[in-house]
Amino acid sequence: MMNRGTLLPEMLHCADITVLERQRARLKWQQDQLQQPQQQQELQQQQHQEQQQQQQQEVRYFSELSQLISQGFDECGLMMGQQVKPDPAFENGWPDLGKIVAPAAGYGFGPGFEASYAISRTSSSPPAVVPEAVDVKGKVSVAALNAKVSAAVGRESFKKRKADKVQNTKVAVEENTKDKRMKGSAEEGDSSKITEQNNNNNRSNSNTNNNNKNNKETSADTSKASEVQKHDYIHVRARRGQATDSHSLAERVRREKISERMKYLQDLVPGCNKITGKAGMLDEIINYVQSLQRQVEFLSMKLAAVNPRLDFNVDNLFAKEAFPVCPSNFPTIGMSSEMTHPAAYLHQFNSLQQQAVSCSGLDLGIINPSEMGLRRTISAPVSAPETFIDSSCYPHLQPSSNWDSDFQNFYNVASFPSQQFTGTLEASNLKMEM
Amino acid sequence: MRAPSSLKQEFLRKWILGLQICSSSAKSMSISERKKAIKLSADIAMASARNGRTSWSRALIASASKDDNHGKLFVQQILGSDCERLTKISTSIKRLRCKKILKKSSGTIIRRRMKRIPDKAVASSIAKQMVNKRTQILKSLVPGGVFMDEVSLIEETLDYILSLRAQIDVMRSLADATEMMMNC
Repeated sequence: MMNRGTLLPEMLHCADITVLERQRARLKWQQDQLQQPQQQQELQQQQHQEQQQQQQQEVRYFSELSQLISQGFDECGLMMGQQVKPDPAFENGWPDLGKIVAPAAGYGFGPGFEASYAISRTSSSPPAVVPEAVDVKGKVSVAALNAKVSAAVGRESFKKRKADKVQNTKVAVEENTKDKRMKGSAEEGDSSKITEQNNNNNRSNSNTNNNNKNNKETSADTSKASEVQKHDYIHVRARRGQATDSHSLAERVRREKISERMKYLQDLVPGCNKITGKAGMLDEIINYVQSLQRQVEFLSMKLAAVNPRLDFNVDNLFAKEAFPVCPSNFPTIGMSSEMTHPAAYLHQFNSLQQQAVSCSGLDLGIINPSEMGLRRTISAPVSAPETFIDSSCYPHLQPSSNWDSDFQNFYNVASFPSQQFTGTLEASNLKMEM
Repeated sequence: MRAPSSLKQEFLRKWILGLQICSSSAKSMSISERKKAIKLSADIAMASARNGRTSWSRALIASASKDDNHGKLFVQQILGSDCERLTKISTSIKRLRCKKILKKSSGTIIRRRMKRIPDKAVASSIAKQMVNKRTQILKSLVPGGVFMDEVSLIEETLDYILSLRAQIDVMRSLADATEMMMNC
């Protein structure tokens, strides 16, 4: 708290606070955040409120993105997505956060890991700020506070972009006031409606910016009323020395949105770090998407060639067998080769399909090797669940030299669960095709 | 809370559902037909794994359901009850038309002004044209992209790239597993 207290006067007295100073302030604030979980919750609540009122689609999308990245941060979940509007200033604080995220996120990621990690670099900062965040009930709209603070802090020199971007900086400043007003106080309508309940129609409504600017002046005691949800104005403050008509403001908002998204893409698409222009970036993105699509084509062709009868059920059953490298411990599937990943989920898929025992990878480590030796000789008339467990154990033990005998067992095993499977007959057909 | 592995599982599950449809008729198909069926079922499975939350997935499903070639079957099988909800591309067509008109008019304006603008502005307009051209290309790549504005286009592209990656991972491992099984 102390830090934030000092931040506020700092910001208040600098009439002409430079971008660099702000960045530093933000960074400091951010680091504070890392050490102060309870405040983070508040912050995150406010932030959430605001974000939530913005494009919900965006929120959902970003939450998915960030979920992809930080499996280890389960608690962030939805919140993470909403935090994500990275400010370039945050780059400073990110590397270490990225490292935190990366090992945690390493579990689920085979080849996609480095890219995901790259994403985590950009998006981990706000989530790290709110590690505990689970509750998504925003009581306070940050925007209101933002406006209020900016009014108090004065004025022209403060660039206020969209509230969602600014909130990270403003939040620090607002901390003091926020704490008092925080808990679910539905304050009554100041007509200013500073709260940018930015909905999906942001772009269309940005021409109300002029209106909003006027209102900001009066918003000393801004209401963060959550009931002011109906207004979907974007409140944008003109930068110093820039045109203030609504069109250019709207244009600026739009441009900033686009550049933000482009940053995400930059992390996602490999090799985009050095490229700074929009056109170049788009080029890379296009190339990447095209290459991914070509890969899909190629793989589907390969699958068609390899499998003349499109009976992929067989594959699933054998999949575990086919992977040469099986980790001893499935829970850490992300760590080893790409192949283990499909093993795990194919495995789960099988159990899904059969609705037999849920053979998670965790079971495998437990099963006794001697037991398995016995079970290997069991042929046809075994109940499906048992054989499933057996077959799933095999990858751990069997070197490739044993595959022949195992194949026999597998064929027998496989004949039961699969509905489309015409028993061992088809299996032997397959064998003959090889 | 979708982790990548659950996305892949979801995709795989739906894909297998789709493949089961065509496995019965597989004997009569040529390799290219099989490939098309595989790709189509994979795409639809991937799109449905998104549950209609993204625009590209809806566009993909909608276009697939209009297709004669197994597309409808796949969609019905994979999506089940969600079929109706997801196959509607509603108001986007109007927007597209308006945008086309706008683009045509903006092109002529730039040309007229070229004589009077200083070099800086010329450069920026050239840059804008480059960006626009590439945006058009990107729109043609992402399913349903032509209907989107720039901001959402980039979002959709992001999501699309992630889904493609997951799809490729699953397909690759399936192909490798099949191949390995075949070869030994």
